[in-house]
Amino acid sequence: MGVLYLASLLLGISCMLLLDHRFRLFFWRDAKAAAIVTAVGVLFLLGWDLAGIGLGIFLRGEGTIATGLLLAPELPLEEPVFLLFLVLCTMVLYTGARRMLDLVPAKRSEKERETV
Amino acid sequence: MTYLWLALAFIAAAVVAGVIFARQGARPGEARKHWKAVGLAFAALAVLTAVFDSVMIGMELFHYDASHILGLKIALAPIEDFAYPLAGAVALPGLWMWLTRKPNGSSSRSRPNLKGLVPQALLASRPVSWVNTAYPFAAAMLLTTRDIDWVLILCTFYFLIPYNLAMYGINDVFDYESDLKNPRKGGIEGALLQPRLHRPMLWLAAITNIPFLLVLAFAGGPAAWISLAVSAFAVVAYSVAGLRFKERPVLDSLTSSTHFVSPAVVGLALAGANVTSGLLILLASFFLWGMAAHAFGAVQDIEPDRQAGIGSIATVIGARRTVRLAVGLWLVAGLAMLAAPWPGPLAAIIAVPYIVNCAPYWNVADTTAARTNVAWRLFIWLNYGSGFLVTLIFILQWSLTS
Repeated sequence: MGVLYLASLLLGISCMLLLDHRFRLFFWRDAKAAAIVTAVGVLFLLGWDLAGIGLGIFLRGEGTIATGLLLAPELPLEEPVFLLFLVLCTMVLYTGARRMLDLVPAKRSEKERETV
Repeated sequence: MTYLWLALAFIAAAVVAGVIFARQGARPGEARKHWKAVGLAFAALAVLTAVFDSVMIGMELFHYDASHILGLKIALAPIEDFAYPLAGAVALPGLWMWLTRKPNGSSSRSRPNLKGLVPQALLASRPVSWVNTAYPFAAAMLLTTRDIDWVLILCTFYFLIPYNLAMYGINDVFDYESDLKNPRKGGIEGALLQPRLHRPMLWLAAITNIPFLLVLAFAGGPAAWISLAVSAFAVVAYSVAGLRFKERPVLDSLTSSTHFVSPAVVGLALAGANVTSGLLILLASFFLWGMAAHAFGAVQDIEPDRQAGIGSIATVIGARRTVRLAVGLWLVAGLAMLAAPWPGPLAAIIAVPYIVNCAPYWNVADTTAARTNVAWRLFIWLNYGSGFLVTLIFILQWSLTS
């Protein structure tokens, strides 16, 4: 029984939350909306997982870095944690990209002001 | 190939949701930036997926049944694995933008006040009756498969809460419309649900139901698709404007009974049950019980319904005949069970308390119909007793056949 995978996921989640905190991107901008997006995202992807497991497509591995604990047949404990990480990563990337795109025209107009 | 179809179905759902949220949530000129950021986020996620999915597969955290995937890979990651980040990146930022949109002074589109939506929706969904739809499903499926699997758990939850949320949420929204047209029925004050919550309520019904229906359709074959479609149609058609089956005499009782019998049929379909005469008798008996319950429930509302110009089985055939019809239906339902294989005949006894509860109103007049409310309130609690007896019979049936 290994905890490496679970620990890596939790570390990844912590890093995403640190970025979120530092740049006020997601939970630190609108906690309620962020909680809804996170819950919807995780449940949607979990439903997808369950459908895949039900159809016999997704099979759990026997890797030694996983805990081996199962929430349901072929659904390891780590899976919802991974999905949480994926959703947080997606939203930090998106809100971060929006932030950068917002900065671009501001710089451009500053330049224009300088040249005029 | 199976994985590809599964992925396409979920991506399609994500794209539809993403586009709708972006259209509803974007301020003028914001949409371009939104989709650009979605593109950037997905590009970054795709690179991360190619790297880390390969690492995870390499470390044997999971693998795939080779016959189900296309075989096209980027490093070790099957191409289908990029569907997860794609769906997430398309749908979730849209939801975020929609949830965090700022009220726009000049535009009519302002942030709706969603305060109280969830408590009101839960209250509207009649928690006391949740079990009435979840139980028939769970019992039908469990007795057939004799096994608790994820389909059973997921679908029981679906018929416990989201199904009722849709059924009563849609009902309360469209009853408001009909009440407005009939000021004598109470007008605005008489209505349950404030108009500002109408659209959000319909959205809530859609987003809490459609994903479950899609997943369950995946889990079952054509029989499950048909029964789920009938079930969902009955939920919508009962009250939605234009159909309003609840105002069409006889069709109202048929649809209402479908609300309770169809979950059982879905359970049998998902479990792949054999159709036997005993099973058909049981379902027919349950259906008659449901029709009787609806018809009797309509009697107490005869006066207000007539004043509002709303039709129901009771307003058309009158209080007395409706009560007698309900008693007759319960009697037939009970007698039918006597023809079912053992231990089915034991269930015939369940009809007795309903008939006894209703019989005092055998000669009720339209003017005194409101008094049947006393029996109606008792009826709701009788259902719990019946559920108890039905459960005992099911346990007996289980022990006899295993």
